[in-house]
Amino acid sequence: MGNVDKSLKDIGSFMKLPGANLFITKTEDLFNWAKKSSLWPLSFGLACCAIEMMATFSSRYDLDRLGMITRASPRQADLMIVAGTVTVKMAERIKTLYDQMAGPKWVIAAGSCAISGDHYRHIYSVVPGVDWVIPVDIYVPGCPPTPEAFIDGILELQKIIGSGSTAPTFHSSTIPEEKTLSPLEVAKPAKKSKNVIQSEFINKIDLVSYVKKLKNDGFTYLKFITATDFDSNLTLTYLLGNNEDNKEVEFNIELDEDLKVDSLSEIFSGADWQEREVFDLFGISFNGHPNLKRILMPDEWIGHPLRKEYVMDSHFYPYRPTRKEYEKWKTEL
Amino acid sequence: MEDRIIEQDFGDLAVNMGPQHPSTHGVFRLKLYLQGEKINKIESYLGYLHRGVEKLSEKLNYDQLPPVLERDDYLSPTSNSLGFVNAVEKICEIEVSRKASYIRVLVAELQRISSHLVALGTYGLDLGGALGGGASLFLYCFREREKILDVMEDLTGARFHTNMNQIGGVRYDVKNESLKKINKLIIELKPILEDYTNMISNDHIFMKRTKNIGIISKELAEESGGSGPILRGSGISFDIRKNKPYECYSELDFDIPIGETGDAYDRTLVRMKENIESLKIAQQIIDGLPSGDLNSRKPLKSPKLTRPPKGSSYFSVESPRGELGFFIVSDGTSVPYRMKIRAPSFSNLSLVEKLLPGTFIADSVVILGSLDPVFGDVDR
Repeated sequence: MGNVDKSLKDIGSFMKLPGANLFITKTEDLFNWAKKSSLWPLSFGLACCAIEMMATFSSRYDLDRLGMITRASPRQADLMIVAGTVTVKMAERIKTLYDQMAGPKWVIAAGSCAISGDHYRHIYSVVPGVDWVIPVDIYVPGCPPTPEAFIDGILELQKIIGSGSTAPTFHSSTIPEEKTLSPLEVAKPAKKSKNVIQSEFINKIDLVSYVKKLKNDGFTYLKFITATDFDSNLTLTYLLGNNEDNKEVEFNIELDEDLKVDSLSEIFSGADWQEREVFDLFGISFNGHPNLKRILMPDEWIGHPLRKEYVMDSHFYPYRPTRKEYEKWKTEL
Repeated sequence: MEDRIIEQDFGDLAVNMGPQHPSTHGVFRLKLYLQGEKINKIESYLGYLHRGVEKLSEKLNYDQLPPVLERDDYLSPTSNSLGFVNAVEKICEIEVSRKASYIRVLVAELQRISSHLVALGTYGLDLGGALGGGASLFLYCFREREKILDVMEDLTGARFHTNMNQIGGVRYDVKNESLKKINKLIIELKPILEDYTNMISNDHIFMKRTKNIGIISKELAEESGGSGPILRGSGISFDIRKNKPYECYSELDFDIPIGETGDAYDRTLVRMKENIESLKIAQQIIDGLPSGDLNSRKPLKSPKLTRPPKGSSYFSVESPRGELGFFIVSDGTSVPYRMKIRAPSFSNLSLVEKLLPGTFIADSVVILGSLDPVFGDVDR
């Protein structure tokens, strides 16, 4: 119990009386001491930073000694470590998870993506910082932050909790909103150029019979299906492989105005998701596809991001709360 | 009383799993339609980590791209940049010195071990009851992984986003002291990794939970574009390092471990055996590291000066998860006109729609974990 005595000394004083020991403190301080000494984070990772977060929780760095055990359910957790890039599709889920946590609750934004969006800041699908949707108490910089940085952030958070403060330390909604452009000129649509692909071109009517013939010849491995937006038209590229002879065959289809082509999902089961991706990012439809829906973007998304006329910075940000709302949420039980 | 079986059709029960779920290995959402404990139908939703790297690459110069791409498949960042710089070198016809090639392979192979260790450690958590509540396997694996990350930090200054590869060579030299450290690491790791392989192959619960679960036939593995341990677990001996050697792999001696039945157990065992092969490769590299230049290109005054000729090229490397390819269309300017990343996890993960229906709900995490998806790679 030596350590407990030591940490209690910060918030009160021990007195020795004949026959009894007394400890005098304020209840508020005692509760804050209890809160900071057993933070239970939600086990919730988004991207690269989550791997460093896992490393921090495991053998060498061992966050157990700070009283931290991960909980898989938000209802048992009081700390959310947002480790990774926050996308528009994920942002509303993060808000839901945050709402499910019982107050008082805290948030650590770990890594430059969760702080500001980092180099993905101007991408259509990325929210520039998690403080756009939920209040943040501690920002841990790094790409990804090292375990030492994580521990430092947690110790800083413990100081804040110990002092009894509940207001979020800082968040980007206190900064007046302004539209800044990066040197990349992200707001301009890109220029299109001529078709430069040199491999074989086939007619789109022959696609299915051509692929069936290739499959009979041993090209049983579907590598990818993709498209490129050239000035005259969209060009589809297919790559099939033959694993026994180590051969590859690449062929292309130049699409006309109606952007429709036959689906390969009956010949190759892997074509299912590949074609959905092309449909999502380029807007090319596949006849006979069993489940032609958007795969990466939300269903209600407008536009096809990898078309050249699509501007990289065209965001559909989620609702951005005010500081008052942030403060209310934080203390709500 | 014993022979009374009550059967009543309650209809399908829809259970939502993810995107925040510890066993989905990231942000992946599954909607499971259950009939009792059996999965009838699934719907999968992805894109929760779609960061638009392919769009971003149309704005960045070739030389700026490797560090950005390393954030893509974040368990094996070096494979990403390795594939990309090789694709660019293929268009530009740049030769890389033997020394640079050796260093690239050294970092890639060490990272393969660390990636497989994360895969095994988190798989232990997924399996729950096996191996001391699963958590002990997780802690063991992360303990060994830290040793590899220490060496990475020593080599490049970063723990896992090493930023080692650049077009035309590598950024950092390997010092003699580092070679000694790597040698020590290999001697330390070899018995431990063999121990872990024995540990999982002798564990009763582990075998019960993974044997004959999630069997992928050879045909299904190929048709769906599965690669890496998924393909090799099903008994197809296909490894780009061996079949289409890039860098200096043709000079190195290593084997391709393959499985037999293509179940979750085989895939895990293939990963563990690959670790031993990677150690073998690393040992050969530090024994025979040639001398020479690190970079075959002269330093450029501006990154805008890297301008590949017009055309397209595809180059693929063997990442820990499988065939990671880069399809680059160049229109002669300093930025790629279009770059498609052929992500191994994307194709591998598409197998869940074929594997899960008809299995028990408890096996769903076993199957998902055995595919070892990384969502930075799936969603890009």
